[in-house]
Amino acid sequence: MKKQTRKRLIRGLLYGSFILIVVVFALSADWETIARAFGDIEIAIDMFPEVLTIAAKNTILYTAGAFSFGFVLALLLALMKMSTVGPYRWFANTYIELFRGLPALVTIILIAFALPIALGVAIPGGTLVRGSVALGLVAAAYMAETIRAGVEAVPRGQTEAARSLGMTRSTAMVFIILPQAFRIIIPPLTNELVLLIKDTSLLFVIGTTPQTVELTKYGRDFMSVTFNGTPLTVIALVYLAITLPLTRVVAQLEKRTAKAR
Amino acid sequence: MSDELRNQDVPPIQVIDLHKSFGTLEVLKGIDFQVDTGEVVCVIGPSGSGKSTLLRCVNFLEEPTSGTVLIEGIDMADPETDVDAVRTRIGMVFQQFNLFPHLTVLDNLTIGQRKVLKRSGSEAEDVARAVLARVGLLDKVDEHPIRLSGGQQQRVAIARSLSMNPDMMLFDEPTSALDPELIGEVLDVMQSLAADGMTMMVVTHEMGFARQAADRVALIDEGVIVEEGPPEQVIVAPQHPRTQAFLQALEHT
Repeated sequence: MKKQTRKRLIRGLLYGSFILIVVVFALSADWETIARAFGDIEIAIDMFPEVLTIAAKNTILYTAGAFSFGFVLALLLALMKMSTVGPYRWFANTYIELFRGLPALVTIILIAFALPIALGVAIPGGTLVRGSVALGLVAAAYMAETIRAGVEAVPRGQTEAARSLGMTRSTAMVFIILPQAFRIIIPPLTNELVLLIKDTSLLFVIGTTPQTVELTKYGRDFMSVTFNGTPLTVIALVYLAITLPLTRVVAQLEKRTAKAR
Repeated sequence: MSDELRNQDVPPIQVIDLHKSFGTLEVLKGIDFQVDTGEVVCVIGPSGSGKSTLLRCVNFLEEPTSGTVLIEGIDMADPETDVDAVRTRIGMVFQQFNLFPHLTVLDNLTIGQRKVLKRSGSEAEDVARAVLARVGLLDKVDEHPIRLSGGQQQRVAIARSLSMNPDMMLFDEPTSALDPELIGEVLDVMQSLAADGMTMMVVTHEMGFARQAADRVALIDEGVIVEEGPPEQVIVAPQHPRTQAFLQALEHT
C-alpha cells in the first residue's frame, strides 16, 4: 500500500469512529430526562438574583480577600527565601513546602476548626475573613515561588547597574527589580487567581451562613431542596463567566510578553 | 564626604596587591594599580585575562579575595566604609548598557539622584536634561530605552552615570556589544569626557581610542599586569613579548 493511501485510510478511520461514537451516544441518551434534570428553566429562574447578589458576590469577595492577603504574604516569603539571612530562608522554605504539600482542605479545616476548638484561638472577622485567610495561606506558598522566579528572571546587570548608582540592596529591589519582575509574573499570577476562584468552592466546609455562602455551597443547597441538577448548571455557567475572561486575559498577556522579548 | 579627604594628592583609585579567585580559579594574581586625578587609563588584554574583574573589584561589585582597594583614600573592605555612598562617586558603564527598561530615559537618569542623592524631582530633572544634552540625546528624554539604538542606549547609560556627578568613571568594554557603525558616537562622548578632565578607567579593545585618549595603558594577561606605560610605548612600541603577541593577534581580526 502506498504511503499516501495508508495515511488517508487512517484519517478516514479516525473521523469515522468519532462520528459513530457521537451518533450512538446521541441516540442512546434520554435527552428529555437530561433536559429536565439539568436544564429546568423555572428552577434556574428561581435562583436569581441571589445566585449573583449573594453567592457569586461572596465567591469574588473570598477570592479577592485570599488573593490580597496571599499576595502580601507571598511577597514577604519570596524576599525571605532570597534573603542572605539563613533563618529567614529556612522559614520560607519550610512554609512553602508545607503549604504546597498539604491539601488546601486540610489548611481550611485547621484555620476554621482546629484552631478555635483545640487552642481556643479564632481568627476574628467572621467566616469571610477566616475563609480568605485560610485560602490565602495556601495561595501564598504558590505565589511566593512565582514571585521568586520573576525576580530571578530579571537580568543580573539590572541589580549591578542599580548598585553601581549607590542604591542599597532594598532600594534596588523596590525600584528596579520588583517592577520588572511583576511584569514577568502577571500571567502566572492571573493563573493563580483563576485557581483561587475555583478553590473557594472548598469553603463549604467552614459552615457558611446564608449571607456568607459561596457559589458551590449555594448550588448544592439549592439542589438538595429541588432534587434537580439545574442549580449545578447555573453555578457552572457563573464560574465560567468569571474564569473564562480571566484565562483569555492571561493568553493575551502572554502573547504580549512573548512579543516584547 | 569632607573636603579635606578629597585631597588632590590622594589618587581616586588605588589598588594594592589585589587577588581575586572564583572557586579554585585565580583570576587576579596580585595587581598593583593606580589612577590619578584627571587621568585616563585604558586596560587592555585578551578576553579572560581578568581586566573586567579588576574593574568590577574597584567599585566592589566583586569583592576581592585579598588585597586593598582605596577609593579617594577610603578602604573599600573596611567594615566602617559605607560602600553604597562611595559608589555614588564612581560612575560605571557596562558592556550591555543595563539601562532600566521599565523607566523612560528621563527616569533612568533621575531615579539614582532622587533615591540615593535625595535630590528634589525638579533638581534631578534639570541635571538629567543637562547631561542628556551633553551626550546629544535631549530629544529622547521621554523614550523608553528599548526604542533606542545600541549606541544611543550606551550614551544614555553614560549620561545616567554622569547625572550622579561622579568623581571618576569606570567603563567595562563600553563598545563591545555595539554594531561597528555605532561605536564612533560612544567613543566621541568618552573622548569629550576625557578632554574635560574626568578621571577614567576604561577596559576596552578599541586601540584607536586608547592611543588617542589614554594617558596610560595597562596590559593584563593571566591575572597580572604585564606592561604599563604611555600608549606610545605599550601600543606603538611594546616591550614585552606578551604585549606584542596580543597586539599582533588584534591586527589579524
